[in-house]
Amino acid sequence: MNIVALIVSPLIALITGLFFLGLSRKISARIHWRYGPPVYQPFIDVMRAFSQKSITHGNFFDFGIILSLTGTIVLVLFLPIGGLWALNTGGLIMFLYLMLLGPFGIALSGAAAANPNSSIGISRNFLLALAYEVPLLLILLAVMTDYNTISLVEIVEKQAATGMAISSWRLVIPGIAYFLILPAILGLRPFEITGAVQEIASGPIAEFGGKHMAFYTLQHALQTFVGIALFVDIFLGGGTLFGLLNSLAGTVWVDILEIFIFLLKMVLVLFIGLFVNAVYPRFRIEQAMQYLWKWPTLIAFVGLVIVAIIN
Amino acid sequence: MSLEILLAIAYGGAFLTYFSGKISQGLRDGAAVLLSLGTVLIVSSFYNVPAASVLYEGFLGLSLVLRMNSLAWFFAIAIVSFNALCVIYSLAYMKDRNEKDYYYFMLLLINAAMLTIVLSGDLVTFFIAWEIMSWATFLLISYNRNGALQAGIKYIVLSLIGSMCMLIGILSVYTSFNTLNISELSGQLTTASAGYKLFLLIIFSITFGIKNAVMPLHTWLPDAYTESPTPFSAVLSGMLTRMGVYGFLVILFGIVGIKSVLTLGSGFISYTKTMAWLGAITIVIPTFIAMLQNDAKKLLAWHGIGQGGYMILGIAFGTSLGMAGGIFHTLNHAIYIVLLFLSVGAVEYSTSGIRDLNSLGGLFKKMPIAFLGGFLGISGLIGVPLTNGFVSKWLIYKTLILENAPFLAFAALLGTWGTILSVYKFLHNLYLGQIPEKHKNIKKTPLAMQVPIVILSFAIILFGIMPGLPLKVINSINVAFGFSPLDVNLWGVVSEAGTLNMLNIFTALIVFGAIVWGIFRISRPATLTDQYDNYAAGAAIPKDKYHYTVEYYAPFYRMVKPFLKDIFDLLYQKVARANDFLCDNIRKIYTGYVGNYVMYIVFFMAFLIFIQLKWSVF
Amino acid sequence: MDRNQISKWLKNPGKMAHKYSFHVVYFCTGCGIIEIPPSITTRWDAERFGIIPVATPRQANLFLITGYVSTKTLKAIIRTYEQMPEPKYTVAFGSCPINGGMYYDSYNTITSLDKYIPVDGYIAGCMPRPEAVFIGVTHLWKLIDMDKADGYKRYREDYVHYRANQEQLYGQMDWPPLFPVEKKEQANL
Repeated sequence: MNIVALIVSPLIALITGLFFLGLSRKISARIHWRYGPPVYQPFIDVMRAFSQKSITHGNFFDFGIILSLTGTIVLVLFLPIGGLWALNTGGLIMFLYLMLLGPFGIALSGAAAANPNSSIGISRNFLLALAYEVPLLLILLAVMTDYNTISLVEIVEKQAATGMAISSWRLVIPGIAYFLILPAILGLRPFEITGAVQEIASGPIAEFGGKHMAFYTLQHALQTFVGIALFVDIFLGGGTLFGLLNSLAGTVWVDILEIFIFLLKMVLVLFIGLFVNAVYPRFRIEQAMQYLWKWPTLIAFVGLVIVAIIN
Repeated sequence: MSLEILLAIAYGGAFLTYFSGKISQGLRDGAAVLLSLGTVLIVSSFYNVPAASVLYEGFLGLSLVLRMNSLAWFFAIAIVSFNALCVIYSLAYMKDRNEKDYYYFMLLLINAAMLTIVLSGDLVTFFIAWEIMSWATFLLISYNRNGALQAGIKYIVLSLIGSMCMLIGILSVYTSFNTLNISELSGQLTTASAGYKLFLLIIFSITFGIKNAVMPLHTWLPDAYTESPTPFSAVLSGMLTRMGVYGFLVILFGIVGIKSVLTLGSGFISYTKTMAWLGAITIVIPTFIAMLQNDAKKLLAWHGIGQGGYMILGIAFGTSLGMAGGIFHTLNHAIYIVLLFLSVGAVEYSTSGIRDLNSLGGLFKKMPIAFLGGFLGISGLIGVPLTNGFVSKWLIYKTLILENAPFLAFAALLGTWGTILSVYKFLHNLYLGQIPEKHKNIKKTPLAMQVPIVILSFAIILFGIMPGLPLKVINSINVAFGFSPLDVNLWGVVSEAGTLNMLNIFTALIVFGAIVWGIFRISRPATLTDQYDNYAAGAAIPKDKYHYTVEYYAPFYRMVKPFLKDIFDLLYQKVARANDFLCDNIRKIYTGYVGNYVMYIVFFMAFLIFIQLKWSVF
Repeated sequence: MDRNQISKWLKNPGKMAHKYSFHVVYFCTGCGIIEIPPSITTRWDAERFGIIPVATPRQANLFLITGYVSTKTLKAIIRTYEQMPEPKYTVAFGSCPINGGMYYDSYNTITSLDKYIPVDGYIAGCMPRPEAVFIGVTHLWKLIDMDKADGYKRYREDYVHYRANQEQLYGQMDWPPLFPVEKKEQANL
């Protein structure tokens, strides 16, 4: 299982992530009363980018983007996609730290390009990360304390055992908080501060072209996948759906159907997120930080207090 | 070889180095390097060799005892290794300075004193060595004069307060138990009352809290780190400050004993919980203050305080996992903070003394080795997986989550995310971005500077992938303190709830990294572009300074600056000023007029007679 | 639309991807930019063809010069063009870049952009409507199919000539040549 997952889960994540990028463009277009690009448009963009001749600012510039993509791929290996997971060592704490490699790699690369636009973008990116990490850490600590484990796989298994999507009512409040910060994690519109195209020439990626741009798009797709998949895994029970697959238990169909159920849940989450994205203008960085440190943090804090008291 | 000879070599060598400096400079440099490498060899030969010896019988009726056990060996080898690296580094860094004999003498004396502290088996030896260390440190902090004098005064005042507290503690222990031998005390203290134990712990906690810069007692540290010569900043941050952690370990687990420590307190307030919360505060606030700093060394200094909080947090819980995390973090912190200071020192050396984060940039192409050190150093400081900092932080977080302390865990994790912001600013402003024209032909990093940086960079990766190497030694420390041993293998920790196996992560990162790199290589090769061919909306790039450094997190600064004042420093300064004012006024009674003095005496006599008549006390 | 013809994709995926993923740098030199917002927003929606605006030339493959080109802006145009990664296509938009348009006799207007950078296609009109822009794009598709949109190749081959023209206008340029310019060839021109 582990060996299969090692190959399959990055591929699923990559393809799904790219489709999600396309889907989000399509849905935004439809909300704007436009026809929109085909759903597979990001694949075309990546192919085009690969066929272009890129520029580089030295080895460290290349190293950063490679580190970023590698880190995000390894991150995907930790996520249980249905019953598919490859790594579990270190649990959610390791996951949290590996989440850092993606933005960190981009930041190194962008800064090695010696473009102030990139630097401003990176500064905003880290500030936004700090802003949403505060509620995110509270949420994840609530989850870890409630299940009394740091293993992501165990958390999903415990939810599957009850057959329900959300296994304990105590995690409803942290779930709401996670949903509020989801656009910030994905870098969607109200929090599209990092790569503000109109202000700072798309920020950290201002100097990326050709294959660097292609790698960035792949990384971005994976990041989108990870952000939503984490929500589905922690709060929506991963690949289980009210014990629907219990009759098939033991066959290979369970694994395949679980993946489908997982992806369906992800699409649902993405849809709801996109409706926010399409109608909101962009926050300034201070506004984003103030918002993220006010409501989501307050809700997550209340959730953690409840969990800590009950435990 | 016995422990006395080790100390004799350490102290004698220090004096010898000083006098050989009077003969020739080369001889002194050679003696210093030989001595420091020699002590590394001797100390490493004590691995797994418990030893004990009596240094001197009958010092005021007490015997001065030395002993070597796993805890002492762990700290001793770290002390001498970092000191050796810093001595080698100093060869190049201190080349053009004055009074080098004095500098090397003090450096080696501090080394010997720290060695004595960790080897001492009784509290008198401990106290004497502690004082030697404090005073020699004061002299070296003030080495640069000017602002450094002020920093030195600040340090020595706080340090003296700490020493006095320790002296009170030692005297009280001696009057109660009539012995100062640590192993004898641990047996006798079990009979003492809880109140006495608490008193002892608090009085020693002040001493070690000052040395380890726990939050309300931290104010000496930022100035001291910043003003001392950079190789000494490295020694100071690496092991000298962490003598506080050693002290905590000795007093908490060596003397009082973990069982007694955990029972101290009632209800919500207990000694360990208070300590853990102080640790948490020490992590969060300095990390955010570090973000506001513009001096590279000051930024690192604030992180030195912040990282100390993790160690306190780890050992405060008194579980084997937390202990392992806390002690391992002491070593890891020393590795990366020394590396970062040496990296800053290289920049300082090459740019002739600039370490202002706002006026540098783009040095990574000119100083690749220093950049490597800086990059791996900040990775370790953040705790990026595959660097050493990750493993110890992981152990600490896991302790906190399993011990059901989510809010402390939140503080610790939040500290990490604050760290990312400030150390990225450090790396970006020094090494990345555009290189100014005037720095295009800077001095090369000399070999004596490169060697320590490379060794430490290697250590960061090595302990990150194979944390089992130091964890085995730490395990034996745990066993010696009476904890259950951790299930440790070479690649990580195997324990009941969740395992850590760095080999998996390492393999996964290498394999997928190779795949990504392969795809990168086979796709169309990229053209190498100059820094002046950047996108700037079609305009030409300014050549002198086109690098976003000043107020790097400007919107955030505006938000938090009013809340992040170092209130304790301001408070202490206020106390110092009030004291100054008071003494100044008291001085005014010396008017120089004899009649006044006679009047004072008459008043005093009258006062005494009044007291005698009223209460007849005399 | 041949977007759905799989055989073409298999034969030359890079070329096909270029056709259906134009990331555009708009150089807003003059009044022409007024026609761009309607063409990329709800009314005409260029995104259905995969055309989206990007912020920096590094990420782009289509360069749209919208409006008249003054001597001063030409410098930025050349620089932006050189910063785009190959393959790249240039389309001049409106009458002015073709022959100066209504500013044909101004001392400060470049009357033929083609002298300084290679232009793959022109969209004539003052202003061209968004429909014209789309027709221009479909023409560019045909040119790419026939390998005739080869401006970037011409720029590389005749770089000496282009650079000489640029230097004739500006004297010493601010940045070094994009491709190596040999002294001997320069002397011949």
